[in-house]
Amino acid sequence: MADPAIVVASAHDLDLAALAAAGDRPAFGELVRRHGSSVRSLLRRMGAEAALADDLAQDAFLAAFEQIAEFRGEGTFVAWVRRIAARLYLRRWKRDKRIDLTAETPEPLDSGPAASPGDRIDLDGALSRLTGVERLCVSLCYGAGLSHAEAASALNLPLGTVKSHVKRGLDKLRAHLAPRVPVEAGIHG
Amino acid sequence: MAERIFESDLEAWFADAPPLPDSRLFAARVTRRLDRAWTLRRVVIGGLGLIGGVIGGAQMLSSGLFGGLARVQAQSTAVTSVLAGHLENSPLARSPMVHDTLAGLGAGGSETLLMSAALALLAVGLLVTRAIREI
Repeated sequence: MADPAIVVASAHDLDLAALAAAGDRPAFGELVRRHGSSVRSLLRRMGAEAALADDLAQDAFLAAFEQIAEFRGEGTFVAWVRRIAARLYLRRWKRDKRIDLTAETPEPLDSGPAASPGDRIDLDGALSRLTGVERLCVSLCYGAGLSHAEAASALNLPLGTVKSHVKRGLDKLRAHLAPRVPVEAGIHG
Repeated sequence: MAERIFESDLEAWFADAPPLPDSRLFAARVTRRLDRAWTLRRVVIGGLGLIGGVIGGAQMLSSGLFGGLARVQAQSTAVTSVLAGHLENSPLARSPMVHDTLAGLGAGGSETLLMSAALALLAVGLLVTRAIREI
């Protein structure tokens, strides 16, 4: 008979989610091991400090375990948890008002180009050049998978304002990541 | 077109988060919290069940249920005896089946109560065993 730990480690996310829905905590633990970094990174990219991001990511996984019967496998498991985490962060953000929506773009630490073509994309560095609200809007729409309307509703901002923040954020990211973009784009083209 | 490509690249970059150095520690922390929450829930449910059982038992005792049951049993025995006395002289009582039934009617009151008490004790025993296992 196969070792349960090996079976869990090699199982697909959807199978693990089904096991977790039946109360199998080791299966859910494997999902946390696989996707913990992704969820924590998203929260950090949204603007959360590392400790807060970790706390919220833990809360998101616990909430995911509670609600796992609602996960129907229409998207990926990690995308579903990222959405939960993003909403938790927004709830915290609304409570604490950690981000000043009127803040100007911070001064970049260096004005040189991003990574060289052979390097990994420096998305974190590029995001650090955005204002808090631009970063939040871009992260919500492209990291957590929310639509512009959902992001507007979550942030209590007009839809047009969110679209403007997203557009400005994308322009800045494109400018910063430009040296790398043609290489990445070549994969699609 | 280039815009769409950049947007889909951006989604991929967001999804492609590098594993953080303490990812195992993070997973262990979540699992520990999950286990703690699970244990707490089971203890709370088991505890509430125990408290409910104790309250229910106390209510049954304080309302004099067992005394009432004993009275009903005594009245029932008395009525059965009177009925049996009336029937004894009738031709129906000559049938062996009716005779046996009449003989058995008067007995069994205390046995029923004892059996109920034994079942109640068994139920409490099961409840306590379950509560100990939960803890």
